[in-house]
Amino acid sequence: MIRFDLVGKRYPSGHEALAELSFELAAGEMAFVTGHSGAGKSTLLKLVALLERPSRGQITVNGQNLNHTRRRGIPQVRRGIGMVFQDHRLLLDRSVFDNVALPLVIAGMAREEIGKRVRAALDKVGLLAREQAAPIALSTGEQQRVGIARAIVAKPPLLIADEPTGNLDPQLSAEVMALFGEFQQVGTTVLVASHDLALVKRMGKRVLVLDHGRLIDDFRPVA
Amino acid sequence: MNRRKSTNRLKPVAPARVPVVRSRTGMRAWREQHLYSLFSSLGRLVARPWATALTLAVMSLAMALPLLFWLLLDNARQLGGSVEDARALSVFLKPDMDAAVVQAFARTVRERTDVAAVEVKTPDQGLAEFRGQSGFADALKVLHYNPLPAVLIVTPRSDALAVDAAPALVAELQRDPAVDLVQYDAQWRQRLNAILALTARVAMVLAGLLGMAALLVVGNTVRLDIQGRSDEIAVMQLLGANDGFVRRPFLYTGFWYGAFAGVLSLVLIGIVEWALAAPLAQLAASYEHRFDVHGLALADMGIVLGAGALLGWLGAWLAASRHIALGQPQ
Repeated sequence: MIRFDLVGKRYPSGHEALAELSFELAAGEMAFVTGHSGAGKSTLLKLVALLERPSRGQITVNGQNLNHTRRRGIPQVRRGIGMVFQDHRLLLDRSVFDNVALPLVIAGMAREEIGKRVRAALDKVGLLAREQAAPIALSTGEQQRVGIARAIVAKPPLLIADEPTGNLDPQLSAEVMALFGEFQQVGTTVLVASHDLALVKRMGKRVLVLDHGRLIDDFRPVA
Repeated sequence: MNRRKSTNRLKPVAPARVPVVRSRTGMRAWREQHLYSLFSSLGRLVARPWATALTLAVMSLAMALPLLFWLLLDNARQLGGSVEDARALSVFLKPDMDAAVVQAFARTVRERTDVAAVEVKTPDQGLAEFRGQSGFADALKVLHYNPLPAVLIVTPRSDALAVDAAPALVAELQRDPAVDLVQYDAQWRQRLNAILALTARVAMVLAGLLGMAALLVVGNTVRLDIQGRSDEIAVMQLLGANDGFVRRPFLYTGFWYGAFAGVLSLVLIGIVEWALAAPLAQLAASYEHRFDVHGLALADMGIVLGAGALLGWLGAWLAASRHIALGQPQ
C-alpha cells in the first residue's frame, strides 16, 4: 500500500527532515510511526498525502508512484487517503453532518447517498445523535471523532493520522486508537504517527521508529 | 481508487452504486453543487452589506463612466448625421449681379464634369427663407433693400467627393471673379467626424482602463475573501478538492459582484439621464428637434449586465487561480 525507496526530504531552509528512508506497508496492515518531536513523523505523512514532495527517492502509494503525479493529479491521490489531524481541522461554520459530508461532496456524490454514508460514519464513531451540532459545541474527544468520521466516510483504502491523540486524555486516546484498530479489522491500511510510546506499545502493532529523519528501528509484533 | 478493493469497506456502510447510475447521479450532484455555490455566494455577499456595497459602488462607477461617455457620443453622432445636405457647396455670388448673369454663370458651372446639380437661389428667395426662420422677421423689417446676394447650391458628383476632388472644385470656384465666397459644409462635417472618431477612441480607451479597474476591484475583493477563508480552502484541498471545486464559490461571488455592479451602473445612468433631461430637451427644442436625445436601448442594457457579470467572473478567476496554486506542491 505504501512503499518508500531511499526517500530524503530537505526543506528549502536546509533542514534535513528525512534521509534514506525505506520501508513498505502492506495493504491491510497497521503501523505506528514514532520518535521524538522533529524526528520526521509529520514529514513522512505529508509525503504520503502529497502535501510535500520528496527531495530524493521514490514513493508509491496505492500502486501509484507519487513522483509521477502531476499537480492536477494530487486531488485524486488524496481522495484515496483518509486523513486525521491532531487539531482535527473541522470547519467551524458548518454542522457536524456537513463536515463529515465534505469529502463526498468534493467527490461529487449525490445528496441521498451522502446522507446514508455520513450517518453510517457518524454511527461508527458513536456521534449519530450530534449530526446537527456545531463542532465548537463538542468536547475535544468528540471533535476528534468527527474528524475520524470525515476521514473514513469515503471509505478510503488508506487512513493516516498525525498525532490523533495529542490533545486527548489517556482514556480518550485509548478509545481513538481502538477505533483505528477497528478500521484495520475491515481491511483499511492504517498509518498513525504518535509519540505516545506507552499507548503504541499497548496496541501491539508494527512500529517504525524515526530519529533525526532516519529509520532506526522497525519493530514487528510476534504474531 | 476507493472502489478498487471491496474488502476496504466498513461494515455498516451500504455498498457503492453501480457505475451507470453513478454517472447520472454525478451529473445531478454537479448541478446541485453549482446551484448551491450560486446561492451560498450570494448569501455571503448579503452577510456583509457594507463591504459589498462599497465594492459595488466602485465597480459600478467604473462601468457607468465610459457608458455615459459613449451615450453622449452616440447622441452627438446623430447631430452630425442630420446635416444631410452637407455635400453641397454654397457659392455666394458678388452682390448686385443681374439675374441673367447669375443664370448664365449657373449654366457654366452646371456644365462642369465634376458637378452633378446646380440650384439657383435668388436674393428674393433668400430673403423669404430668412423671414421664415424664427426671430429674423422683425430684424429684416428695418431693412429698406435686400442685402442678400444670389447663391448657387452646387452638388458635386459623388466621385468628385473623393478626398481631394471637392476641395479642388472649391478652389476653382473661389477663383472665379463672379464668386464672393464658397462655403463648403463638408469641411465642417469632416472636422466633426474627426472629432467624433477621436471621442469614440477616447471612450474606448477609457472603457478599457476603467474595465481593468473594475477587474482589479473584483480581483482584490475576492483575494481578501480567499485569505479570510484560507483554512477552509486548505481543508478542502486536503480532502481531495480539485482547483475547480475550490474556485467555484469565488467565481460565483465575482459573478454576483459584476452583475449587481451592472445593475447599479444602469441605475446611475438613469439618474444622470433624469438630471439632464430638462436642459437637453431645451437644447433639442432650440435646434427645432432636428435631433432627439435617447438613452440606452434595452439590448444595450442586457450587454451592460452581461459584460459586468463577465468582468466579475474573470476578476475572480484571476485572483482565485493565483492563490489556489500557492497552497499546493507542484
